[in-house]
Amino acid sequence: MCSTAKNKGNCVEYTDSGLPKIAIGFEVNGDRFEKHVDPTMTLLQLLHNELKLFGTKEGCGEGECGACSVILNGKAVNSCLVLAAEADDATILTVEGLGQGNELSILQQEFIKYDALQCGFCTPGMLMSARSLLDRQPNPSDEEIKEAIAGNFCRCTGYVPIIEAIRSAATREREALI
Amino acid sequence: MLSKFDYVKPKTVEEAVAFLENNPGTRVLAGGTDLIVLLRRNLLITDHILDIKGIEGLHRLDYKEGKGLYIGAAVLVNEISEAPMIQDKYRALSQAAGSLASHQLRNRATLVGNICNASPGADLSTPLLVYNAVVHIEGPEGKRELGIEDFFTGVKKTALKKGEIVTGVSLPDVQEGDSSYYKKQARVKGHDLATVGISIRRTSEQETLMGMAAIAPTPIRLRELEKKLKNRDFNEETANWLKEEIKNHVKPISDVRASLEYRFLVSGALAKKIMMTLMEEGVK
Repeated sequence: MCSTAKNKGNCVEYTDSGLPKIAIGFEVNGDRFEKHVDPTMTLLQLLHNELKLFGTKEGCGEGECGACSVILNGKAVNSCLVLAAEADDATILTVEGLGQGNELSILQQEFIKYDALQCGFCTPGMLMSARSLLDRQPNPSDEEIKEAIAGNFCRCTGYVPIIEAIRSAATREREALI
Repeated sequence: MLSKFDYVKPKTVEEAVAFLENNPGTRVLAGGTDLIVLLRRNLLITDHILDIKGIEGLHRLDYKEGKGLYIGAAVLVNEISEAPMIQDKYRALSQAAGSLASHQLRNRATLVGNICNASPGADLSTPLLVYNAVVHIEGPEGKRELGIEDFFTGVKKTALKKGEIVTGVSLPDVQEGDSSYYKKQARVKGHDLATVGISIRRTSEQETLMGMAAIAPTPIRLRELEKKLKNRDFNEETANWLKEEIKNHVKPISDVRASLEYRFLVSGALAKKIMMTLMEEGVK
């Protein structure tokens, strides 16, 4: 499946089990999909191999690093630990769904402004954890920001610029509402 | 992953039990934060995964005065840590839930999954122990209830029989003046199993209940120590005594996370800290 993708290097390794497929319907970033998925496929593999959405990254593949974080039915989760079959009827938001057309979201703009990324591998997961935090707490304390991204590893930035970016995005988002 | 499994999602407990009975070796999926990791590491091979999240009744989380708290098998750890009523009445449970792994994992992991996994260090075991939780089980023979202490039978072993599932856990109601506190020591915050986990509860009748994890093959109640605390007030002297005495009541081992000596040390330190904290809050 990966070989058909242009973005071959970004594809998560996946072997079809050959077992009967399961029919699921779900929504990703506002688009509705109907797919027949392998029962052993994870949500992350579904995003990569079936939908060709390569923004969500696979780091550890075991729920430790948070690079694969997406928002599933309003909750941030590690997509590497969710089976694709479990996403039946789900509404999913990935990093590709944060911006509007060619315009980046406030959160993404602040990440750039504060140099909250270097290699960028953790960034999609970091953004989804931050999005989920600002959705449930529009005015988070630094402690709440740290707690919200505790499940996202970054090996470049030392976290401080990320915390600053999220704090600033929270302020800008609140101002945008007034 | 090497394991080839199909995926079933029953709508009722009866359907689930019937499937488990007819398909030995089926693994029950709640949050998947332990199960999917094992499958991905190829440490587990199974033919069937049974997802219990489609059973409506298992999502029940409620508190009734006089009856207590009920937590269904599909209730998320985050739902527990965020419930104001649990923070208010069963604080140690709320603290333990909030300390488990990361936000993303707590959005998938379930309390019942945590105890069914039966790790000696299960984060949510010690609050359940001090609140005398009852485990609700359903299987081919019907329903049964089991005290949480009898549920853990060994490292990664529970009292569940073939074809049985845990449908929920209930905690008896607590009186005004009842207080509890949970603490855990881990190498790093968030992403580690507890080196030592401890819950201490002081009831309104000045009875003390203590539960500990990661210091024996299963999470345990320290019943002998509780007896010795019976006629003692909570004060600094008792806290210092407890710090030393607790070492006679735990049986830790050395493993990848900590040495036996360190676990003895941490057990005493955490127990003292909790007692001092409760005292500062006015618990006698």
